[in-house]
Amino acid sequence: MAYYILFAVAALAVAALGTPFLQFFGKRGNLAGYLLIATLTVALASIALNALAGPGGSSPFGTLLASDSLGNLFAILTLFVTLFVAVGSLTLVPSSTESNSPFYYSLLSFAALGMLLLSYSTDLLMLFVAWELMSIPTYALAGFQKHREESNEAAVKYAVLGALSSAIILYAISLTYGLTGTTGIAAAATSLGSQLTNPVAGIAVLLFIVGFGFKMSIVPFHMWAPDAYEGAPTPIAALFAAATKKAGFVASIRVVLAISTVYALTPQGGLFTIPNVLAVLALATMTLGNLAALTQKSMTRLLAYSSIAQAGYILIGFVIYSYGQGNAAFSQQAQLGMTGALFHIINHSVMKGAAFLGAGLVILKLGSGTVEAFDGLGKRMPVTALAMAVSFLSLAGVPPLSGFWSKLLLFTSVLNGPYAWLAVAGVLNSALSVGYYGWVIKRMYMDEPDGDASPMQEPLSFVLILGVLVALIVAFGIFPGPIISFAQNAVPALAGH
Amino acid sequence: MSYVLSFLILLPLVGSAVTYALSSLGTGRKTASYLAAAFACATLLVAGYAFWSVYSSTPSLGQYALMEDHPWISLQGFGVDILLGTDGLSAPLLLVSAILAVLSILSSRSLISKREPAFYSLLLFVEASIMGAFTSLNLVVFYLFWELTLIPMFFLIGIWGGDRRRYAALKFIIFTFAGSAVMLLGFLSLYIGTSPSTFDIPNLVGKIPAGLQYLPLLAVFVGLAVELPIFPLHSWQPDAYEQAPAPVNVLLSGILPKFAGYGVIRIAIGLFPQASFQYAWAFIIVAIVSMFYGAIVALLTSDLKRMFAYTSISHMGFVLFGAFASVASGNPLGIEGAIFLMFTHALAVGALFTLSGFVESQSGTRKIPLLGGMGQRAPLTAALLAASSCAAMGIPPFASFLAELMVISGGISAYVSTAVTILVPVITGAYFLWMLKRVIIDPAPPGAATAGASKDISRADATIVALYLVPLVLLTAFSFLVLSPAAPVAQWTTSLVQGGLHG
Repeated sequence: MAYYILFAVAALAVAALGTPFLQFFGKRGNLAGYLLIATLTVALASIALNALAGPGGSSPFGTLLASDSLGNLFAILTLFVTLFVAVGSLTLVPSSTESNSPFYYSLLSFAALGMLLLSYSTDLLMLFVAWELMSIPTYALAGFQKHREESNEAAVKYAVLGALSSAIILYAISLTYGLTGTTGIAAAATSLGSQLTNPVAGIAVLLFIVGFGFKMSIVPFHMWAPDAYEGAPTPIAALFAAATKKAGFVASIRVVLAISTVYALTPQGGLFTIPNVLAVLALATMTLGNLAALTQKSMTRLLAYSSIAQAGYILIGFVIYSYGQGNAAFSQQAQLGMTGALFHIINHSVMKGAAFLGAGLVILKLGSGTVEAFDGLGKRMPVTALAMAVSFLSLAGVPPLSGFWSKLLLFTSVLNGPYAWLAVAGVLNSALSVGYYGWVIKRMYMDEPDGDASPMQEPLSFVLILGVLVALIVAFGIFPGPIISFAQNAVPALAGH
Repeated sequence: MSYVLSFLILLPLVGSAVTYALSSLGTGRKTASYLAAAFACATLLVAGYAFWSVYSSTPSLGQYALMEDHPWISLQGFGVDILLGTDGLSAPLLLVSAILAVLSILSSRSLISKREPAFYSLLLFVEASIMGAFTSLNLVVFYLFWELTLIPMFFLIGIWGGDRRRYAALKFIIFTFAGSAVMLLGFLSLYIGTSPSTFDIPNLVGKIPAGLQYLPLLAVFVGLAVELPIFPLHSWQPDAYEQAPAPVNVLLSGILPKFAGYGVIRIAIGLFPQASFQYAWAFIIVAIVSMFYGAIVALLTSDLKRMFAYTSISHMGFVLFGAFASVASGNPLGIEGAIFLMFTHALAVGALFTLSGFVESQSGTRKIPLLGGMGQRAPLTAALLAASSCAAMGIPPFASFLAELMVISGGISAYVSTAVTILVPVITGAYFLWMLKRVIIDPAPPGAATAGASKDISRADATIVALYLVPLVLLTAFSFLVLSPAAPVAQWTTSLVQGGLHG
């Protein structure tokens, strides 16, 4: 029932608009945070009920939103991540910006609302409004520690590039509307099919890829990411990597991959097709991400580049999916690839959530975010070190952790056909990534810290959230069946099948 | 369905958790070693039972004993089953792994003195993964267990190793992970290329079209070659072997290269018979180069452990050589010899590395020129070193000589020119004897101040080393114990190649 979605939207809207009033009543502590956590739990439960009720029933929203499995997957994922970010923020954020904490949680709530709506959007205008509702609060959140210069720099850089990407998306939408006369995504995609010879249609698709590419931080639109991740408060960096980035992916699945039907179906083929463009971007993204991560000295930057590399793996699924749109012979591989991509999107959120929240705690406790600060962490902060080690092994694709299976599905899906080289590149990149994941694990467990080596106290809330995330990584790895089925159900139907 | 093999994997796994949990409660330092030894002994009994079931009723050609099939992932378009089974190829390896695990844990009691609970727990975890790798008949599950030995090994080398342990551990994990990732790529391409798609080895045998064999064979071979290791992909190995603590070395050098030897016979030849046949000459050249390279570099090495590491490269070259000699000639003798050699090498190299740990803890050094005078200073250690060296050289009464003989005669039946490999045991004999002369007969060097203070090996530790050597002597007389189950596998694998050519 789509009314569950309406309820979740209402709950988040009330939280977003209501929490700032706490400021006027002098409740500046963590009360707003607890309220948001309660609201997010309620919203998550109601989306879960929506998922259990099955697809369909979009009556209250007309054609603007569709209550489908893909939307459910992304809504659950983004709300789940926001919930963990909110819990992590209780410890990590108020210490420096106590006075404004109600606004912090209000902004977080707005961003969650944006991501929730974006997950279900099936109309370009709705999608754009949701996109902005998600993005604008995050610009403010990135610069929330207003007395820190890096935070300000991160906010400005992110806001300027974010505004640019929004403008590009809006331009693409207007071109699409001009060509097709509609903003409904399904109708626009079909209508573009009759105008293939028009280069403007190609420009519109490319602009969509570029615009969404900023949020997905795919190379070469990734420049903002390392600075923003490093400068922003660490829980917000977790939000960027684990949630808003995923919003970019759902937008691309809904728009770019729907339009790619049209292109892949063209008989003339040629080099300049959507799957080819995506394949080049995938290769560049994973390779540059991994190479840059090898040279980083700051943990948040290292995680930012690793996050870029992971986006490259996810794109592999997009490539084969858009290729399979037009080739019935590849439909099974396309299904498999998109299943792998969605599964990897879920896994990446969980793994990066654990890594960023762990790094955030280390930065708070040790006052340094350099890689050297992690020396000997295994003895100083055992839970955090274990959580980060498990998440790193999973990111590298070590079995039987969750990241192994999603990468396996992604690589298997492209091994037959014209994109087999992407699987080779993906495997070599995974091997390369052990260079920095293993290096950090080596520091945490084998190196001795310089100077102070005393154990640090780890707050109970962190032991809890890191424990849950690690349990998910292991559980998805040992019992991957149900979660892969969940991802498989969310794969949008291929055109023409 | 029997559950013997799942039990074989789960027993050390549970042991790993129990050992860590109980001994972390602060019940004394030795608790961990007792618990671990108990679990390893129990595992040895189960492994012995698995070996006995194969030995007493050898499975017919292409069949496996104690088969188990547990569905794991079944989706539309993708499926992985935990398919377990054992035959004359894996059963001896299971047995020797279980023996080595027990002896390695026993020798740790005097060689490991920090963070014991974690150490023994990781060691048992490695044992569980080893059992999993040798019994799994599904390629993905095989890969999974293979990886699961690397991660605990990474920690075992990096935390308990020598001075340059961190460097060695990182190099180890990067090389082996990269190699196995490439191997996985080969597995995945098989899955996509066969119809119906499967990762199960019994269903893949003979089903892979010849055209699809070449690139996957190359990918799989890269992974196996890193693990074996084969020159020029061996560079991680001397560092890792040198830095790892001696009890870890026993598994690292005794068992892990056997994954690759096992993979060569079961996967490279078993699944890609036509491609293997066509390029058998190339693999034989690679193997021979590796045999000579390992032997010659060992001659020039002055560190005891590093020397043993290069010996290992040379010996594992023999395994590759024997396996592909059978492919080229159609004579199963080479594969039989390779299986036998894997068994004997595991025991011989286990004895050598354990001894190197004791030598280092007595004398404070592993440098051969500084170890002189051991014959007078520590006669029991010297005697054991001489005996273990004879086992590694392949001198009767140690069964290693039989294995090398089988491999070389198998090679000659493929290409007469490979008779040149008879020089390898000669070089091996030369450097071992030279090492023994310098260590045992030569007087202590004037600079070695610690020499007088050092003690001889304790009775208990000497027994542990002797326990490696006893099976080797017995095997000379009772070689049929390993060879009679191995022979049908060797015959069958060879017939796959011949059948693939005519079919």
